[in-house]
Amino acid sequence: MIGLALRRLGWTIVVAWFAVTATFAMTIAIPADPARALLGPHANAETIARVRAHYCLDRGFVAEYACFVGHVVRGDLGESFRTKRAVSAIIGEHIGPTLELALAAIVLQLGFGIALGVIAATRRGRWQDRATSLVGLPGQSIPIYFIGSLALYVFAYRLGWFPIGGAGDGLFGRLHHLVLPALTLAAGGIAYYARAVRVEMIDALGEDYIRTARAKGLPERAVIRHALRNALGPVTTLVGLDLGYLLGGAMVVETIFGWPGLGRELLQAVLEVDLPLILGIVLVSAIAIAIVNLAVDLVQLALDPRLRDEEPRR
Amino acid sequence: MSRAAYVIALATALTACNAPHGPRFRAAGRTTPYIGGTLHIASKDQIHTLDPAIAYDEASSYATHALFDTLLDYAPAVAGDDRAAYALIPRLAERWDLSADARRLSFTLRPGLRYADGLPITTADIVYSLERALRTVDSPFGPFLADVDGADEVVAGKASHVRGLRIVSDRELVIELVRPNVAFPYVLTMAFSTPQRADYVAKVGDDLRRAPLATGPYVLAAWTEGTELVLRRNPNYWDPQRGRIETIELRENVARDTQFLMFERGELDTIEHLATPDYLWITSEPEWAPTTLRFTPLTVYGSRMNVRRPPFDDVRVRRALNYAADKDHMIKLLHGTAVVAHGALPPGVLGRDDTLAPYPHDPAKARALLREAGYGPGHALALRYTTLNDEEAQQLAGSLQDDLAEVGVALVIETMSLATFATADTKLDGPAFALESWIGDFPDPSNFFEPRLHSRMITPDGSTNDAFYANPELDRILDAARATADPSTRAALYRTAERMVFDDAPWIFGYHQQSIEVTQPYVRDYAPHPVWVRDYSAAWLDLNPDDERQLR
Repeated sequence: MIGLALRRLGWTIVVAWFAVTATFAMTIAIPADPARALLGPHANAETIARVRAHYCLDRGFVAEYACFVGHVVRGDLGESFRTKRAVSAIIGEHIGPTLELALAAIVLQLGFGIALGVIAATRRGRWQDRATSLVGLPGQSIPIYFIGSLALYVFAYRLGWFPIGGAGDGLFGRLHHLVLPALTLAAGGIAYYARAVRVEMIDALGEDYIRTARAKGLPERAVIRHALRNALGPVTTLVGLDLGYLLGGAMVVETIFGWPGLGRELLQAVLEVDLPLILGIVLVSAIAIAIVNLAVDLVQLALDPRLRDEEPRR
Repeated sequence: MSRAAYVIALATALTACNAPHGPRFRAAGRTTPYIGGTLHIASKDQIHTLDPAIAYDEASSYATHALFDTLLDYAPAVAGDDRAAYALIPRLAERWDLSADARRLSFTLRPGLRYADGLPITTADIVYSLERALRTVDSPFGPFLADVDGADEVVAGKASHVRGLRIVSDRELVIELVRPNVAFPYVLTMAFSTPQRADYVAKVGDDLRRAPLATGPYVLAAWTEGTELVLRRNPNYWDPQRGRIETIELRENVARDTQFLMFERGELDTIEHLATPDYLWITSEPEWAPTTLRFTPLTVYGSRMNVRRPPFDDVRVRRALNYAADKDHMIKLLHGTAVVAHGALPPGVLGRDDTLAPYPHDPAKARALLREAGYGPGHALALRYTTLNDEEAQQLAGSLQDDLAEVGVALVIETMSLATFATADTKLDGPAFALESWIGDFPDPSNFFEPRLHSRMITPDGSTNDAFYANPELDRILDAARATADPSTRAALYRTAERMVFDDAPWIFGYHQQSIEVTQPYVRDYAPHPVWVRDYSAAWLDLNPDDERQLR
C-alpha cells in the first residue's frame, strides 16, 4: 500500500507539472501583452518596453519558461504583476475560503445526493423516485450563474433570508454567508450523485448476497446498509473527479456572491493577464486535485479489500 | 440584454411584481452639515495598490484621491457649467504661478501642513515623490514628467536627481521645464504627485502599497484585500471643509447587478455604472430624480481606422464611413446617456469648437463618396471591425454593421477581451478598423490630441496613435499650442487642429459617454469630481437617528 501511495505521489507531480506547462504555453500564446494590461492604454512604447524587460517578458518562450520553472523549483511562485504581492501570500489568503466552499458543497452533494439516491432506489418506479428525478433535473440542467443570480435575487434580496454577497465575520456570520454559494455550487452535484447512487443501489440490491441476506430474514434497514456500502465505492471515485469541477464552478459562484476565494482571484488574474498569479493558482489547484484523487484511491482501498490485491498488477 | 436582466425578468415573474419604488431611507433634514457617519460604497473591481506611484486604475483611484492631497485640484463641478468645472484651484499649494513662457512653475505650500502621522510636509517630499515616479520602472506616470528639465536623465539612470525640480525653501518649490507646456499644472493634480517622505517610504519598503502615508482628508483604517477597504477621517488634515463623513467603507469585487440590489435595499449609499435594466428602473421612478446625477467625464468613443492601410488610406472612404454611421441610433442604444462627438475633444475642454456640427447621417452622400473611391455594386467594400467582447461594445458594433450595410459595405465583427484588444490595437499590423476609446487624464486639449494624433507617438508596436495618423501641419499646430500661454490664442489653434482632424477623418467620431451616479437622499452636498468622479470628501450624511439604516 505504501508503494502504491508513493507511485501515485510521483504521478501527482507529473500531473501538476503538465498542467502548469500547458497553462504556461497557453498564456504565452495569448496575444495579450501583460505589460500593456498592467500600464493601461495610455502608456507609450518606451514604458511598455521597459516593463517587459523588467519582468523577463522579452526573452522568448524557452528562456521565460526556464526562468519560471527555476523559481518554482526553489519554492518561489513569484510576485503578482498587478499587486506586487507574493503569489504564495495571495494563494494562502484565498485558498481557505475556496476550500470552505468546496467542502460545504461536497458535504451538501453527498448528504442530499446519497439520501435522494437511496430513496429513489428503494422506492423504484414509485412517485418518490419520479419526484427525485424531477427535483434533480433543474439543478443539473440550469447553468450555475443562472442558479446563483436567481438564488441571490430571491433568497437574499426579495426574502432577505441571507446576506447579498460577501463573507461575513464569526462562525455564524460565515455560515450564514456560505449557505447560498454552497447550495449553488452543489446544485448540479446533488442531482448527479442522486442519479449515480440510485443506479449503483439498484445494481447492488439485485446482487445474490442481498437476496441471501433477505432470505436470512435481515431487517430491510440492515439490507440497505449492506447494499449502500457496496454502492458507495464507485461514488467515492466521483468525489475525486468532482473537485476539478467544483474549483471551476467556484470561479463563477465566488464572483456572483463576492466570496473571497481562489476562483475569483483566478478569474481576475486571467482578465488582467497576471501571469505569475495564473500559473500559481493553476499549480496549486492541480496539486490539490491530484492529492484528493490519491486520497480517494486510498479510501477505496480501505473500503474494498479486493482492490488491494489487484492494484499492483495494473 | 444581460444575463442578470433575464434573471431579474424571470425572478420578477416568480416572486410577484417588483415595481420601481422610491428610496427606503430619507434625509433627516438638517440645515448644517453633520460630521460623522459611515458611507458605504462598492466597486466591481479590486483595488490593486495604494502606492501613489503605481495606482492608476479606477477602483484604486476611489481610495487614492481620498488619501492623497496634491498641490492643485479642480474646482468643484457647477451644474450646467462644464467650463467652470475644470478651473484649477490650489490645494496643498497656497498659491502658484506659471511663467509667461510656460516653462517655469512656482509653488508656495500652505503653512503648517502635516502628514497623517503628524510630521510636517515640505517641498523636499514633493521632489522625492516626482523623482520616485520617474525611477519606478512600472510607474505609468513617468511620461507625464517628460518635460521637466533633467527628467530623462533620471529615467535613464544617468542622474539621481532631477535638475528642474528646485527647492527654494521648505515651502517654496520651482519646477523648470525644457519645453513650454501650459498643461503641466494639470499633471500636479494627479495623485502620484502627492508628497511622500523618503524616510517613511524606505522604512515600509514594499508595504507602501498597503500602508499609505496619507496627506488627504482620509487615512487607511483597515484593508482586507479584495473584500473591503475602510477609510477614516485624517485628524491632521488641514481643511475642515473636507472629510466630513467619519468613515468610508468601500467593498471591492461586488458585481454590478449585486451592487444595485444592495443599493436598492439601502446597504450602499451611492451607485455608479448602472446596468441597462437598473438604469431604466431608477429613471422610471420620479422619486429618484433629485439624487440621480448626470455628468460628462473626459471620454471620447468612436471607431478608428489605420490610415496607412487600404482602403483607409483614402480619405473619401473614411469620410463615407462617417456619413454612413448613425450616431443618433448609437445614443438611443445607450439610452440617451451620451452626447454625439464631432471631433477629438469632449465638452468643456478648451478649444472644443461648439459650432462644428458632427458628420450628419447621410447614406446617399456616403454611397457617392464610396463610388468616387471606386467601390460600388460591382466592387463592394468588405471590412473587418475589431471591438471588445462586452455587451455594449458588441451592440454598438452591430449598429455600425447595419449602417454600413445600408451603404453597401459588408462588415464582419471580431471581438476580443480587453487585454488582448489593448495589445493588438497599438500595433501597426493589428486591426485596421477598430473601436476607439480614450479617457482623459486631465481636461487639457493636449491630452486628447498629442498621444492619439501626433506623429511623434507612432511606433510599430505600442503606438498610442492607433490610427497611425501623421500630418506635419497638425504636428506643427499641436507643438505651437502646447507652448502658447494665452488661452484664446491657444483655443484658436486647437479649433484649427480639430477642424483638420474632422476633415481628414481618421476616426468615425462617435460620442462622449455620460456617467450616472445615484445617491441615497441623505447623502448631501455631493457632486461627482469633474475628473476623478467619485470623491466624497465634501459630502456629508444627513441621517435620521431613528432610522433602521443607522442600526446597521
